[in-house]
Amino acid sequence: MNDCQKKFSQLYDQCIDKIYRFVFLKVNSQEVAEDLTSETFLRGWRTFQNQDRKIDNPSAFLYQIARNLVVDFYREKGKAQLVSPELVSINDPNNNPEEAALLGSDIDTVRHCLTNLKEDYQNVIIWHYLDDLPVPEIAKITKKPEGTIRVTLHRALKALKNEMGQIA
Amino acid sequence: MTETELIKKIQELKKIRPRKDWVVLAKREIFREEYPVIEKRLSILEIFPRLFHYYRPVLATFVFLGIIAIAALGLAQNTLPGDTLYSVKRISEKGRVVFISEINKPKAHLELANKRLEELTKIAENNQIQKLAPAINEVQASVSQVVKDLKASKKITEEIVEQTKKIEESQEKVEALGVIVGGVEEFDNTLSQLVEREIKDLENKILSEEKTRLLEQAKADFENGNFSAALEKIWLISNN
Repeated sequence: MNDCQKKFSQLYDQCIDKIYRFVFLKVNSQEVAEDLTSETFLRGWRTFQNQDRKIDNPSAFLYQIARNLVVDFYREKGKAQLVSPELVSINDPNNNPEEAALLGSDIDTVRHCLTNLKEDYQNVIIWHYLDDLPVPEIAKITKKPEGTIRVTLHRALKALKNEMGQIA
Repeated sequence: MTETELIKKIQELKKIRPRKDWVVLAKREIFREEYPVIEKRLSILEIFPRLFHYYRPVLATFVFLGIIAIAALGLAQNTLPGDTLYSVKRISEKGRVVFISEINKPKAHLELANKRLEELTKIAENNQIQKLAPAINEVQASVSQVVKDLKASKKITEEIVEQTKKIEESQEKVEALGVIVGGVEEFDNTLSQLVEREIKDLENKILSEEKTRLLEQAKADFENGNFSAALEKIWLISNN
């Protein structure tokens, strides 16, 4: 394995869970999420090999590819939502069945509500609260001012709270 | 629900993870795609149009330069010393000599010397005075190369005899037109040494009556300064 491969392998290990989760929460299908995630890394790897093109922030670059792939996926297939979020169970083999039932119910509710939010709100919530990206990095990915991101985050949380309130 | 509680619930989504076996498999697939072009094993028929597409400007330039070079070579063949394209003719001749084997090089040099003498004759006949000096220089240079070859020559071949004879004839023709080529004496001296060496060599050998007679004639030619005729007879003795 050469140096370039090693670096990308490390990046893959660091980001695979995040990118998969990001895609999964948008397409609500394990199969589609796997396809789009592997395509994201494949495209990332091809660009990464090209030494002439320097990537300042590789993880942000991967998110960008994933976002574009999700957009393309919906555009090409004309699908607003492939599978209802209620029908997709979350793969968590560490919990016992009782805990899994309780937890699964909670997670599914949040996921369902999150899916109902507009794309910008979904993205900032996933990046900031799930992937722990700081506001400046989200600003870089979205190419928006940090202030705008903070406002969007605040509004996204409020919108999610409303969605959750409606279900409860 | 407070904001903190909501965030805590959101963070529960961190439990969403890809299948471990898929993670390993996907990684392997990505690195397998490292050289997709090579793995696809493109056929020649696929590669050629691509190369042609990418390098079209370079190929066009090469083709254009090739056409120019061929046209220049064609035009240069009939040029004489002092003409613009004469150097092209000389370069092409030198190029041809490079690819000739060492054994055949003396013959090639003799042929070139004859060509130079023919050019000089043509110039003298047409009274192209301004081209005389470069033509004489060319003759001297090619004769000097022939001298070197003759000095190093260990075997007399039919071609050497033939070309040497031609050189002597051309030389006489040029001199008859009133052109004196300096430096050609060295050619005569070398030829004389070569003939003398060969005659001495043959004198030490037992020869048939016919060959002895030919050797006597060769000696007479040598005495009269007719070296190419003497060389011809020596070759006849050695090869019959």
